[in-house]
Amino acid sequence: MTSIPIVHFLYLAAVLFGIGLFGVLARKNAISVLMGVELMLNAVNINYLAFAKYWNWNSLTGPVFVVFVITIAAAEAAVALAIIISIYRQMKSTNVDEVNYLRG
Amino acid sequence: MATTLFYILAGVLAASAFLALTARNLFHCALFLALAMFGVSGVFLYLDSEFLAAVQVLIYVGAVTVLIIFGIMLTRNVMDEKTRVMNRQAFLAVVVALGVTALFFKVLGQSAFRAGDHPPAVVAAATAENGQASPASTASSDVYSLGTELIRPDKGFAFAFEFVSILLLSALVGAIVIARKDPA
Repeated sequence: MTSIPIVHFLYLAAVLFGIGLFGVLARKNAISVLMGVELMLNAVNINYLAFAKYWNWNSLTGPVFVVFVITIAAAEAAVALAIIISIYRQMKSTNVDEVNYLRG
Repeated sequence: MATTLFYILAGVLAASAFLALTARNLFHCALFLALAMFGVSGVFLYLDSEFLAAVQVLIYVGAVTVLIIFGIMLTRNVMDEKTRVMNRQAFLAVVVALGVTALFFKVLGQSAFRAGDHPPAVVAAATAENGQASPASTASSDVYSLGTELIRPDKGFAFAFEFVSILLLSALVGAIVIARKDPA
């Protein structure tokens, strides 16, 4: 199992992060933007565990941080979907470029 | 065999992640996202984190994807066939995402990452100590030591653990309040 070099995990995480970033920036629907954020968080989790396995033998900081990131991502998804549903009731739309109440 | 399987898994993961953010139908997006989360859980298995792989399946595939599907169903009739999926700055977004990924790849191509699977300082220390270049792992990320690390009162993560539980509770209450129909 250890024959896979660490840099391949890091490349995979970089690709996932790039895809998630593209989704956050380019998608119109707010739910898709949320999916992009989740993908970026997962890319970060892969990086945490890769470094925890290969580079850091004496502490459990990496896995513990992954637990925290998963927890906060779940909380973030719940709040974000509540906001999206609330906006949909107000405007009958979930497109992020139409919600501009706060534009000056 | 296991190595080949990892690269197949990585390909499926990248492809499903890409499709999750480019597919037209939002339901297909959510299902591809579930597939991508399964793939991430498989990568966790390759990183010796069985517990976190199980947590990944439970929370992301079991909870977050279902939550997203509920969100899609509650905001129906948004996407008809004619509206565009991407917004006006899609081209710029491609440029930015490719640029960030290229930056990551450039950093990862540097010698410190290319040199090997272990940080240079650790390898040097281990070689000086007992003559072998790859020291054995002393921390194991099984459930027992992970749980001990989380609630150990001395220099552990006990405070952060309790703080995250408060945050989760307030997020739960906040989500209910925000999504309520008639604010009393």
